[in-house]
Amino acid sequence: MQANSGMLTKFESKSSRAKGIAFHPKRPWILVSLHSSTIQLWDYRMGTLIDRFEEHDGPVRGVDFHKTQPLFVSGGDDYKIKVWSYQTRRCLFTLNGHLDYIRTVFFHHELPWIVSASDDQTIRIWNWQNRSLICTMTGHNHYAMCAQFHPKEDLVVSASLDQSVRVWDISGLRKKHSAPTSMSFEDQVARSNANQADMFGNTDAVVKFVLEGHDRGVNWVAFHPTMPLIVSAGDDRLIKLWRMSETKAWEVDTCRGHFQNASGCLFHPHQDLILSAGEDKTIRVWDLNKRTAVNTFKRENDRFWVIAAHPEINLFAAGHDNGVMVFKLERERPASAVYQNTLFYITKEKHVKSYDFQKNAESPTLLSLKKLGSPWVPPRTLSYNPAERSVLVTSSADGGSYELINLPRDGSGAIEPTESKRGQGNSAVFVARNRFAVLNTERQTVDIKDLTNNTTRSFKPPAGTSDIVFGGTGNLLIITPTAVHLYDIQQKKSTAELAVNGVKYVVWSNDGLHAALLSKHNVTIVTKTLEQVSTLHETIRIKSATWDDAGVLLYSTLNHVKYTLLNGDNGIVRSLDQTTVYLVRVKGRNLYCLSAGKPKILHIDPTEYRFKLALVKRNYDEMLKIIQTSSLVGQSIISYLQKKGYPEIALQFVQDPTTRFELAIECGNLEVAVEMAKQLDRPKLWTRLSTEALAHGNHAVVEMCYQKLKSFDKLSFLYLATGDANKLARMGKIAEHRGDFTSRFQNAIYTGDVEDRIQMFKEIDLYPLAYMTAKSHGLEEEVQAILEATGLTEEQLTLPELGEPLTPPKPVVSTFQANWPTRATSTSFFEQVLKGEVEGLSLEDKPSADPFGLEDGPADETAKRSGGLADADEDEDAAGWDMGDDIVPEVEEGFVNVESAEAGGAGSSEADLWARNSPLAVDHVAGGSFETAMQLLNRQVGAVNFAPLKPRFLEVYQASKTYLPASTGLPPLVNYVRRNVEESDPRKVLPIIPRDLESLASNELQRGYECMKANRLEDGLAIFKGILHSVLINAVGSDSEVAEAKKLITSASEYAVAMAIELGRRQLGTQDVVTKNPQLLKRSLELSAYFTIPKIEVPHRQLALLSAMSQARAAKNYNLALSFANRMLANGGSPKILENARKVKAQCERNPHDAVEIEFDQFAEFDICAASHTPIYAGAKYEECAFDGSKYLPKYKGTVCAVCEVCEVGKHGSGLKLFA
Amino acid sequence: MDPYSAEGELINIHNHFHQGQYQEVVDFDTSSLSPENALPARVLQLRAQIALGQAEDVVADVQGESEPALVAVGALAEQALGKPEAAVKTIEQLVESSSEDAIVQVVGGTVLQAAGKSEEALSLLSKHSGNLEAVALIVQIHLVQNRTDLALKEVAAARRWGQDSLLVNLAESWVGLRLGGDKYQQAFYVFEELAQAPATTSVRSLVSQAVAELHLGRTDEAKAALDEALKKEPGFADAIANSLVLEVITGKGPQDPKGSLATVDSQHPFLTDLAEKSELFDKAATKYKAKAAAA
Repeated sequence: MQANSGMLTKFESKSSRAKGIAFHPKRPWILVSLHSSTIQLWDYRMGTLIDRFEEHDGPVRGVDFHKTQPLFVSGGDDYKIKVWSYQTRRCLFTLNGHLDYIRTVFFHHELPWIVSASDDQTIRIWNWQNRSLICTMTGHNHYAMCAQFHPKEDLVVSASLDQSVRVWDISGLRKKHSAPTSMSFEDQVARSNANQADMFGNTDAVVKFVLEGHDRGVNWVAFHPTMPLIVSAGDDRLIKLWRMSETKAWEVDTCRGHFQNASGCLFHPHQDLILSAGEDKTIRVWDLNKRTAVNTFKRENDRFWVIAAHPEINLFAAGHDNGVMVFKLERERPASAVYQNTLFYITKEKHVKSYDFQKNAESPTLLSLKKLGSPWVPPRTLSYNPAERSVLVTSSADGGSYELINLPRDGSGAIEPTESKRGQGNSAVFVARNRFAVLNTERQTVDIKDLTNNTTRSFKPPAGTSDIVFGGTGNLLIITPTAVHLYDIQQKKSTAELAVNGVKYVVWSNDGLHAALLSKHNVTIVTKTLEQVSTLHETIRIKSATWDDAGVLLYSTLNHVKYTLLNGDNGIVRSLDQTTVYLVRVKGRNLYCLSAGKPKILHIDPTEYRFKLALVKRNYDEMLKIIQTSSLVGQSIISYLQKKGYPEIALQFVQDPTTRFELAIECGNLEVAVEMAKQLDRPKLWTRLSTEALAHGNHAVVEMCYQKLKSFDKLSFLYLATGDANKLARMGKIAEHRGDFTSRFQNAIYTGDVEDRIQMFKEIDLYPLAYMTAKSHGLEEEVQAILEATGLTEEQLTLPELGEPLTPPKPVVSTFQANWPTRATSTSFFEQVLKGEVEGLSLEDKPSADPFGLEDGPADETAKRSGGLADADEDEDAAGWDMGDDIVPEVEEGFVNVESAEAGGAGSSEADLWARNSPLAVDHVAGGSFETAMQLLNRQVGAVNFAPLKPRFLEVYQASKTYLPASTGLPPLVNYVRRNVEESDPRKVLPIIPRDLESLASNELQRGYECMKANRLEDGLAIFKGILHSVLINAVGSDSEVAEAKKLITSASEYAVAMAIELGRRQLGTQDVVTKNPQLLKRSLELSAYFTIPKIEVPHRQLALLSAMSQARAAKNYNLALSFANRMLANGGSPKILENARKVKAQCERNPHDAVEIEFDQFAEFDICAASHTPIYAGAKYEECAFDGSKYLPKYKGTVCAVCEVCEVGKHGSGLKLFA
Repeated sequence: MDPYSAEGELINIHNHFHQGQYQEVVDFDTSSLSPENALPARVLQLRAQIALGQAEDVVADVQGESEPALVAVGALAEQALGKPEAAVKTIEQLVESSSEDAIVQVVGGTVLQAAGKSEEALSLLSKHSGNLEAVALIVQIHLVQNRTDLALKEVAAARRWGQDSLLVNLAESWVGLRLGGDKYQQAFYVFEELAQAPATTSVRSLVSQAVAELHLGRTDEAKAALDEALKKEPGFADAIANSLVLEVITGKGPQDPKGSLATVDSQHPFLTDLAEKSELFDKAATKYKAKAAAA
């Protein structure tokens, strides 16, 4: 038995004595009925009191939620059963009938029934739909303490202080109250008979079994959810387990342990456990099968009165003297670890499984951990070591223990670990690939152990250490209740410390640069050196977290998945239902989590945080993609953008005109503002727009605003200011129409229109003013007219001193014609892009652009596109020949890795080993034994001229050794690089060979081809000779590769010969020189013809043929040209070349004669002498290079091969050895 | 108690030194050390200075000192300044007088080995009593002599009493790189652990990590580590030398040895060895000749 290992309390309430509890089946609610007559409705997840129901008089002992309806029922000491609606928050009705305290009330799982147990010794069944009592079950002869329906069958079980437990059959009651479908007369008779059968009038419910065994009153009784079992708790301090069959019921066993009255008991809904609560202040957990105590939770002061289980999830509640506690029996958080694309986790059955994020597939069980710790304690943590493919599992059982187990390569069913290493410790975690750390909290030590479980070092962590987690290579994060320390294992000291309270979990980012420290209500993000980056607080408990690849932390609380950026900006990603999830990984739109012990994928929309991240990083491309691809960006993004000072970006999202207007004003985008103002057309907006536009110097907009606002004065002044005389005049007219004289006067002043002013004064009978105006402007006629009109003479008037007449200023610049020039800065990158001004980013081009690579489409496209580009390049290369297109040669030498597996012997240095016993020249070269290497080559292929091989010798030699800095002050230690890395037998190790066959075929050979196409023959010749040298000093891994190597040698040799011929032709002289000299012309034509002989790739041969054909045609050797044309046509290939050939053919066929006689018989079989570049006809004698196979006229025997430049012509050796 | 052991107060400066973090050694605050540890700490700092190329300062520093340890360090500095004969002479005198001094053993062993006197170095070092530094030197000398078997034995013995200390791990890794197979990976772990932890990283560790990776055939990773090392210290000869090797292995063709390595360290084994081999090649090649001259 394990006493009192920490109970996982999730919620506690303080109140008076709690007598009844009920879990809501779906919501995180719990009903608590109190001794004080109150019924409380709590949200245990948020820890808030939702409601109180206070209509009972005196203690309320029983409560129950309805499974589906928004109802609950309560029964109290006021003898009343009340049915409530928690939606309308009131009591719907009361069921009266009991004659004493009501102990329990329960709804039926499907019928509209309530069962109640009362101190009046009866158990009653009520129909809450028609609010009637339908059955009274009598038989107990003391208080009925508890009565419950069977979850499936028509049974009721009851417990009473009469020391008995009774099982009642209520199938009759169901028949009677179910819809009268097809009741025959006989049935009716039978039923009416049955009604009379019972002497107590109990017809519908009959006692099926009476279970006697308790020595005192029984307080509680419960059915097992699936098995025919009953558990009861009594004042005899015993928990009794009963079994029943169709016909009988009997006592199975007794659980002894409570030392006071046992007040409640129940079966665990999913596990083979019994829970009981008692007045001895304990909750006890019993093994159903063994009836042994599994666990005991003790409370200091409070006696327990009732216990209840959540029907779905792993939650229990117990009511005690001072309230209610909601608790879990075990951690639900499955121990898990993520490595790259694999999740390792431990199931409820204690099986280690893995889950592949790429395939979205679960593995079979890799390992069974049944024997780890006690059977009821799940493993706490899992640490994975990818190098060794082993796991380190800790369990809180037995005071904390760990186990190091190697995972099998492939799981196939429950496998008991074959070999495991275990020990005592509270936390254990891998700190390096061959070390792990174990914390012992009791002794406060951390041991560093190697993989054989031996302690290699040990140190004292900071005081109060409660947990250790991985802290980056060579480091541990040591967690104390108030701080986190970064501890350097090597130096044995804490290198950094951060005060954070109650850190429970640490989640490292995928790049290992940041970690999230999770406490109950806080997330603190730190760097790998433990510097705090940001922190945030959540009122709801934080459960888990995982990092997005882009560096966004997603975390889960009890009811939400949220994100936070490194800068602390956070928000909600989605909400969660009741079951707690533990996030393990996020990939695109898939959020992987462990829920109820299994991997589960939640779908999320990462747009919002991706967007914010892009904004923070100013990654406009990405933002743009998001804008384009995501259908909806909500109000929150807009206000976020506005708040963060990006109104111009926000503008791109907003549809609502008012908001758009506000944003446009804010970022000075007048165009949009005008558009929106027109749409809305409100004076207030026009006013604001005019102010803004004026500040911008955009008087066109200002004008429009004033017009809309009918601000005539302002308009006039604007026209004056911008020098728009015409419009000013029109303003005058308008004023006249409006009869607004002030305005008219003003306009007249602005325009300098004296006549109009006088006219106006006259109209409004202000003759003095009219006179004065006329007089001052020297308008004598007008003066006289006024005098006449007023009947006055000039003498009658005394005039003040007249000043100069007012001349209105003439506009110097016609400002009104154009807006005030402004610097064009206000267009953001975004606006430009959205207007399509930025090339390569316009919206239309990338319809399928996917911002997160959630789909695989675009990659193919790019590949195709780049393929297209490559084609184009190749075309261009071939243009060196200026002869049109050609096809790209296909090389299909599927060379494999070069490897060999023989050599050996004993010797002092590894290099000596290589040299001494390998038959391959290359291994001698790598070993630095150049003499023997040369000997070998001389014997194998008749190599005599080694100078050209020097670079290759040194290359191979250089690759063979590394320099390891060892002791300070001494030269570095030399080590020997092997090509068989796995090998450690000194007799089998072999040196690494740079540029093996595969590399030569895929790099050098292609470069050689390219040179051919691009007509860079000197380079090409050098490359092909280099290939020959590199193959000569090389090694391969199999016989088939030897064949490949031979092919490569032949190919390189043919190319080298071909190129040498063509280069020889070009050296004859320029076109002019050659054509003038018949001798040279003949030789030139011959060489161009020979150029077509070596067996090079067909497309390249076409080039040679094309060249030969044009040469021949130019020299009027039409017959010869015709033969080349025919060969080209026979080869096929690029249409352009063929077209060319066809044309030449047609032309030459008209006159198939040769002007110049040359030594080239198009119908004869011959090879070309690599030295003299003359034909060696079939059947004639020739000599050969033993290495590259190039052919020579006999007179060249004994010379150095012109192709490989290494071997002696005609010297036959044992043949090149590349594979031993 | 061994001051270099895990609980000793010299552990950190000692580890810094052997992790190649010479500047940390020089900057190490030695004022709080107990008096008996002051000398070893000073010696470590002087040796770090030599490693940092400040041998002249060291010579000046130990001028006139009679403490054998300091005299030995003086000899080491002399040697670093290119006066091996004088250095060896000094050490040989010290071997006569105070070969029991642990520092004399280690520094003397280094000087002798560097001067090519491996046997003398081994006989001096073999007098050590539980000094891991001496063990590491012995291991290295055995490896230089291609006596991997002896080196392995030495490490296995040291592992028993030296446990998990840095030098044992390092020496084991050196041997591991000779043995190959699984040992490559284990050596890699040790170097990687040192190189990647911010507290212990140094150019030497990075290069060591790269070398291990190179041997494991992981050329991309090796390149990354070497690049990092060269970024930290562009003139680190071993990093350059190994980069050259890596270039060759990855098929970049033969490397020009007259590049940056020659300017940094013209006497680097990579160069001397290559020059020697080049000469050897030319000499060997003259033995062969075609029968006939080309027409």
